Amino acid sequence: MKIVFTSKDQTMDASMDPRFGRAPFLIMYDDESRKYTAHDNAESANSAHGAGPLTAKKVYDLHPDVIVTGNGPGEKAAETLQLAEITIFVGASDMTVNEALAAFKQGKLQEIE
Amino acid sequence: MNPTKELVVISGKGGTGKTSITASFAILGDQDIVLADCDVDAADMHLLMAPKIQSREAFFSGVLAEITPDLCTNCGLCVDVCHFDAIHEEQGKHIIDSLNCEGCGYCPRVCPEKAIRMLDANVGDWYRSITRLQAPMVHARLRNGADNSGKLVTKVKEEANRLAAAAGKPLLLVDGPPGVGCPVVAALASADYVVIVIEPTVSGIHDLKRVQELIVKFRIRAGCIINKFDINPAVTAKIKEFIATEGIDHLADIPYDTAFTQAMTLGKTIVEYDPEGIGKQIQKSWHKIKQLLELESEET
Repeated sequence: MKIVFTSKDQTMDASMDPRFGRAPFLIMYDDESRKYTAHDNAESANSAHGAGPLTAKKVYDLHPDVIVTGNGPGEKAAETLQLAEITIFVGASDMTVNEALAAFKQGKLQEIE
Repeated sequence: MNPTKELVVISGKGGTGKTSITASFAILGDQDIVLADCDVDAADMHLLMAPKIQSREAFFSGVLAEITPDLCTNCGLCVDVCHFDAIHEEQGKHIIDSLNCEGCGYCPRVCPEKAIRMLDANVGDWYRSITRLQAPMVHARLRNGADNSGKLVTKVKEEANRLAAAAGKPLLLVDGPPGVGCPVVAALASADYVVIVIEPTVSGIHDLKRVQELIVKFRIRAGCIINKFDINPAVTAKIKEFIATEGIDHLADIPYDTAFTQAMTLGKTIVEYDPEGIGKQIQKSWHKIKQLLELESEET
């Protein structure tokens, strides 16, 4: 399974960013290889408008199964992710990416539909 | 991980008393807060908080077209394609009116001489300041005709968060923008609690419902202050019913009172002008919010 996290920095020890659209980095973790890659999201974070849908596109390009974030994507971004059949989990605000991964695996995060 | 809590005050509809109440919270929060004025289209928090500007930086958002006169042959193709009537010929030269230019980027595509560039637009400035209570404040000022944006709200909030972290302040108090658009989404995206200041009018309750749809999407706990509750008892009753069904905390009912205006003309907040009357009710709401944010234990 591949999971994308919205993060403030580029490692698994970094803080999660509670924001979806304007999170500076996306971290993609592969559950099988147990490896991660960091992806710059500055283009969306710096856009005047429409940061959410732009980030949703970037997430889609990574082809994950799941996205984990904080307060959650707004309406347009959520719709985009749902059409791409990416499952959205929220509530991972005050955590590191590693902690968010653990919380996700323990079923402690809320799925939104 | 994120020790500073974010309290965002919004209204949906403008003119409900949002900034008057946010400024009162800023007085009650005293040195414990960092203040962020994200209502940048019509920023007015500075009138009540008298901030002393410590530093100022230019803010860039979007792009504007610019013609390099030496390369331009005055062929006029750009004028034909501009949908915004932003390009004119003056004294034999083509120039772009930056107030009309929307930054769409059509003109550089058709220019055969490659004489048009798209440049980052300086739409205003943002400031780091110290309020009259010596609390840090981040605010901004837009140039004529420039719009607030999610980007600017994000910038103001990020700077305020940085100041809060550096000074170890427990609370970021955000005067949010009106409406439900991109700037509001940016203001809410990392909020811990939202206060909705509402007035009992038809458009007031309509906008409360729109704002609530957005808050539900972000799963943030919210509380409601009904301002001027006594001007329309029927709508006030409907608002109370709505917030009870939606699980919004009912924080206060504030009566219509000219004391608000009198305080404002003196550059004061209502908690300073009328501390024993209306000020007391706002104080109660403030303590309740602090308890909900776990910044204060419940009174015994």
